[in-house]
Amino acid sequence: MSLRMTAPPPHGGRLEERVVRDPGLAKKLAKGCPVYDIKPTLNEKGVPVRNVYREIMSICYGFFSPVEGSMKEAEVERILKERRLLNDWIFPYPLVFDISEEDYKQLGVTAGDRVLLRLKGKPFAILDVEEVWRIKDTEALAHRVFGTPEANPEVVQEPFNAKHPGWVIYKSLNPVVLAGKYTIINEPKFRAPFDRFWLPPLKSREEYKKRGWNTVINHQTRNVPHVGHEHLMKNAAYTGDIEPCHGIQVNAIIGVKRKGDYPDESILEGHEATNLGNYIKPERHLVSFTLWDMRYGNPLESMLHGIIRQNMGCTHHMFGRDHAAVGEYYDMFATQTLWDKGIPSFGFEKSVCDVEYGLKIRPQNMREFWYCPVCQEIAYSESCGHTKQKEKFSGSFIRGMVGEGIFPPRVIFRPEVYKAVVKWWKVFDFPFCNQNYVVQQDKNLEVDLPDLDV
Amino acid sequence: MSKLFVVLLDDKRMNAIKGSGLEDKVEYMFGGNLKAFTMEMPDDKANLILSEFDTARIDTRSCITDTPLAFNRTLFEEIAKAKSLGPEVIDNTLARVAEIKDLAAKESDYLPAPEID
Ligand SMILES: [Zn+2]
Repeated sequence: MSLRMTAPPPHGGRLEERVVRDPGLAKKLAKGCPVYDIKPTLNEKGVPVRNVYREIMSICYGFFSPVEGSMKEAEVERILKERRLLNDWIFPYPLVFDISEEDYKQLGVTAGDRVLLRLKGKPFAILDVEEVWRIKDTEALAHRVFGTPEANPEVVQEPFNAKHPGWVIYKSLNPVVLAGKYTIINEPKFRAPFDRFWLPPLKSREEYKKRGWNTVINHQTRNVPHVGHEHLMKNAAYTGDIEPCHGIQVNAIIGVKRKGDYPDESILEGHEATNLGNYIKPERHLVSFTLWDMRYGNPLESMLHGIIRQNMGCTHHMFGRDHAAVGEYYDMFATQTLWDKGIPSFGFEKSVCDVEYGLKIRPQNMREFWYCPVCQEIAYSESCGHTKQKEKFSGSFIRGMVGEGIFPPRVIFRPEVYKAVVKWWKVFDFPFCNQNYVVQQDKNLEVDLPDLDV
Repeated sequence: MSKLFVVLLDDKRMNAIKGSGLEDKVEYMFGGNLKAFTMEMPDDKANLILSEFDTARIDTRSCITDTPLAFNRTLFEEIAKAKSLGPEVIDNTLARVAEIKDLAAKESDYLPAPEID
């Protein structure tokens, strides 16, 4: 047996890259197609909760391999029943291109037709329609996506409702689904600072090779890192094969924000500051992102995170308690259970790494880090027994300190990281996402598109 | 069980309480790196705060957090004025709730960035 580990194969066996880079071919593919301008998904109050462009990007650049497009009805049904694609590979969420009845009437397409999708008024991608189907009841769909206490008693503690942002996304879908493969025909250009951190799976695998990284552990984030996060990353990375992981990758989920979140720009540059300040030296640390309007599906979200990072070439993935959770809909350990024993009601009698057509990335389930005044160090909750004296890193506590303009001590927030926060605070006149940020983000997105005359 | 409220202190605030006798109550957290008062909030006051400010919540350490920054600032002003950490300080702060809400409404959109090097 070999004790050494190397990058796992992509989920599904091969990386999808559905991007046409030849403008001549792009024009040919789009010629004469009916045109549809991508619109954000709005909740009942008209607030944007999702933009399908992010899904198209993540599918076409291979983050969600082996998914190739908007799903057919049978595929969505299979995902809801057993969290598997029609080709048997496990996958947590339905992904669909949904439009209103009025738009469908106007578009007038059917199976076999091709639609040119425009983003910000420019040609972006094509959708080859293989099936048109309808979501009969989006609320019922939303419940089935996330589970119910009756159907998923192992992990679902309370019924999902309009306070859950992921549930709201599915509830807000339009009724008509155009199912079929996406192909990007006009590559969007990321604005600064996103351009610096864009590392789709083919590129990330190349980058690991260039750096000589055989083992890479991923840290999922939607946060500016405090020192507790930094210690989680550094200590989780002690796993590996016969030595600690060569690389620590931070992959941020970039998508629709909620008020009070840190701006995406601060998150990316805050993590980068961790290596620019040499707290984790740049040779060992890599910051990147994935476009996705987070569904907050805790165990389901963790499965998607595993797929994304396995596709990127990571060997390991750290999972904490309450991973990608909001509220108390799921049991606190639901994610760790999925990766440890499996969740039968979601279709997994065993760990998602032990089932057929499952994942090859290794979970590293972690508890928490706190400051211990007795140990006089940042300690791991399962090592340090000074539970009475511990001082926890609380995200909301730190947000409060930042908001009050108090310069945080470096044992809580590295000064370089704090400076990245203040840099973007000056740009947005606010340290967190406010209404203005949310509106601007919806309008500008993360990209601009070059002209392409089709 | 009563709840807690942490009042963070920086150099400016330390100056404001100089000679008040409150210095003895300063707690040093995170290895002496962070200075603060920890106030006790009786349940009735805690519930009042939670009902006045819909962002406010109780965290895993039984601390009231996510109150408007204007509330935190006003609370400190009242502490410095009364030179006390007793419940009357909370009453004095809540007496200014209209003023706090006024400021809070603005701070959801704008906060001046601190000047740092
Ligand atoms: Zn200890």
